[in-house]
Amino acid sequence: MLGLLKLIQSIIKTLHSAGTPGQVAAGMALGSALGLTPLMNVHNLVVFSLLVLLNVSFGGGMLGWMLFVPIGFLLDPLFHSIGLRLLEAPSLRPLWTSWTNTPVLPYTNFNNTVVLGSFVGWVLLAVPIFFAARYGVARYRATVGERVRQSRLYKAVTASQVYNIYRLFRP
Amino acid sequence: MKVKIFRWKAIGPLLLFLTILGVLVWIFAEPIAKDTTEEASSELLGTQVDLGKLDLLPRQASVDLRALQIADPFVLTRNLVEADEIRLKLNPTALAEKKIVIEHLNLQGMRFGTQRKTPARPPSGKGFTPQVYRAVQQWANQFNVPLLSLTPIDTIRQLALNPTQLTTIKQAQSLLARTDSTRQALEQGFQQLDIRPTVDSGRALVQRLGATDPKKLGVEGTAQAIQSVKQTLKSVETAKKRVESLERNTRSAVEFLGQGVQLVNQATEKDFAFAKSLLKLPTFSAPEIGEAFFGQVSIDRFKQAVYWAELAQKYMPPGLLPRPAPGPQRLRASGATIEFPKMEEFPRFLLEQGTIDFTIGGATPVRGAYMATVRGLTSTPALFGRPAVITAGRRAAGSTIASIDVDAVINHVTSRTVDSVNARLRGVKLPTFDLPGVPFRVVPGSGASELAFTMRGSELKGRWAIRSNQVSWLADTAGRSPNTLERLVWRVISGLNDLNVVAELGGSVASPRLSVSSNLDQAIAKQLKAVMGEEIARAERMVRAKVDSVVAAEVEPVKRRVTAVQAEANKRIQVERQQLEQVEADLNAQLKRLTGGLAPGIRLPEIKL
Repeated sequence: MLGLLKLIQSIIKTLHSAGTPGQVAAGMALGSALGLTPLMNVHNLVVFSLLVLLNVSFGGGMLGWMLFVPIGFLLDPLFHSIGLRLLEAPSLRPLWTSWTNTPVLPYTNFNNTVVLGSFVGWVLLAVPIFFAARYGVARYRATVGERVRQSRLYKAVTASQVYNIYRLFRP
Repeated sequence: MKVKIFRWKAIGPLLLFLTILGVLVWIFAEPIAKDTTEEASSELLGTQVDLGKLDLLPRQASVDLRALQIADPFVLTRNLVEADEIRLKLNPTALAEKKIVIEHLNLQGMRFGTQRKTPARPPSGKGFTPQVYRAVQQWANQFNVPLLSLTPIDTIRQLALNPTQLTTIKQAQSLLARTDSTRQALEQGFQQLDIRPTVDSGRALVQRLGATDPKKLGVEGTAQAIQSVKQTLKSVETAKKRVESLERNTRSAVEFLGQGVQLVNQATEKDFAFAKSLLKLPTFSAPEIGEAFFGQVSIDRFKQAVYWAELAQKYMPPGLLPRPAPGPQRLRASGATIEFPKMEEFPRFLLEQGTIDFTIGGATPVRGAYMATVRGLTSTPALFGRPAVITAGRRAAGSTIASIDVDAVINHVTSRTVDSVNARLRGVKLPTFDLPGVPFRVVPGSGASELAFTMRGSELKGRWAIRSNQVSWLADTAGRSPNTLERLVWRVISGLNDLNVVAELGGSVASPRLSVSSNLDQAIAKQLKAVMGEEIARAERMVRAKVDSVVAAEVEPVKRRVTAVQAEANKRIQVERQQLEQVEADLNAQLKRLTGGLAPGIRLPEIKL
């Protein structure tokens, strides 16, 4: 229940942030990597750093993470088969052989079928996610955004202490 | 308007976050590494591995393991190995490639076979090692170790045999079905053969020519007659080939039925053995006594060797092809992690050299100079290029344990894998064990024990021997008085102070053979034969008569049917062949007569028949 409330809070705050729809969408596209791929991997540290350093919506990133976690779980069998196909492809074998025998790179765990498959999946989905999110945010702001801004729920959310911390990272 | 790409003010919080992350890793790395090591090694070895403490020493690229216990998967209350402290010196370059290369291992306070405070968890689950554990248990169960029964003959009254338990009946029914289908197939073959038209036309031609005078036929008439004879001879030749082909088929069918009869006879012998086992007749066959007494304890020794050899086959595969392994345990799907070995690179795991060299002094039974080395234990033997060698030894003259020598070689460098272990213990206190089937227990005392085991591919060769001259025996009849035969066996064994047991393993993993012999076998067998021989023979005759009476009604008609089908098939083939040969001979005679009339002195080309 708490998770659901957090999700609603995150959605509301993100949709009404000062960021442009493009910034929110870019944040969501980056954040979806955290949800689609297994979290404890080196590439996610890079994605998180980009989310913080780049001028994209951090809230959008967190929203993308939360939205894509269940999708990641659902798509694991597909990611496994993509990863397996890539890792077993004879033409790519020299690449993986050199990759897994180069310092630091093995810590990316890209020789794991789910990690590689989900990462490739995210790379392919990032652009559609960006455009879909940008369109969605723009449509929302143009239609029901102002009414929600006037609602009690929005005021309650924005009045919380958490929101003040969040503002530190808003675009 | 210029769009800002970077959020420079976030560098501070990001660095703070990374610092906090680093501190957390620093704080929790050791407990997490300890838990992971315990979990991974337990899964790897298929037995519980406990670790008291793990210290990471990053400056020295070393890891200290303390209070290591590796449980014996086959005796959960015992540790295979216990060590107070192990220091692993790791190769930092390999570590950067996420590979564990132990340059040197130093071990202190090693003990074998210590008792555990709490029993270990039994291997369970669907992982590879529990599967191997279960497979090895099944492997051990496939040995048909005879159970020595010392039931007195006077308790054998009647034998009730259920025909459905007897394999002879099933074999006979199966043979009957086969006989019928063979008979039908042969009948069909004879019908398809159908030599009647050929024989009839041949006979008719012979009859017609016989009634004519070749001199009156003229040149043209004689040529036509010769042509007709030649054509008919060709038809006869073709028919003979068909008969020969059918004869070959018939012969193989008849042989097949003969094999079926042999199988029925073998099944009857098995049923006889089964019926005999129901009576639990005491055996006085020396090999059976040896296997009954020491078979199980020998299998237990070989079972452990097979288990570790199977694990070595899995974790140290030959070759350099990519190897998939289950991915890490996590909330998300584990997937598969594929290793890509590369020549002249580090393998995923390598223990280059491990030495254990220490002395235990004082007056304890374990005092002595210990020395053990481990070399080349690796996940990719083809990269290391040499077999893994493990040696362990101990010398302590005058101590309770005089010497221990263990040599193991794991050679997986090429696809022709060889795993071998030789263990020799002198002056050790041998474990006591029960003699199965009798209420007696052997206390071998101090003696010598040897185990030699080799697994070459799937071929097994093993020898386990124990030797002691300080044997004592314990009787445990649990309040009841032992019967006549038990008293007899007790009289034989209780007078023995020497014990020599040799168990030999052969065959393959799928089909192993075990033979066990001991100095008890002959002594007990001789005594039993002298006392019980005649009565056991009489009981065996009774069993054979009973089995014969049950199976005869089913088997005899089948055997008669088989004989009849075989005889009929042979007879018909003979008849068909004779008919064709007769016609052929008559036609040749006519041909000779015709050619003689056409041109005396001129030889016609021979017709090969």
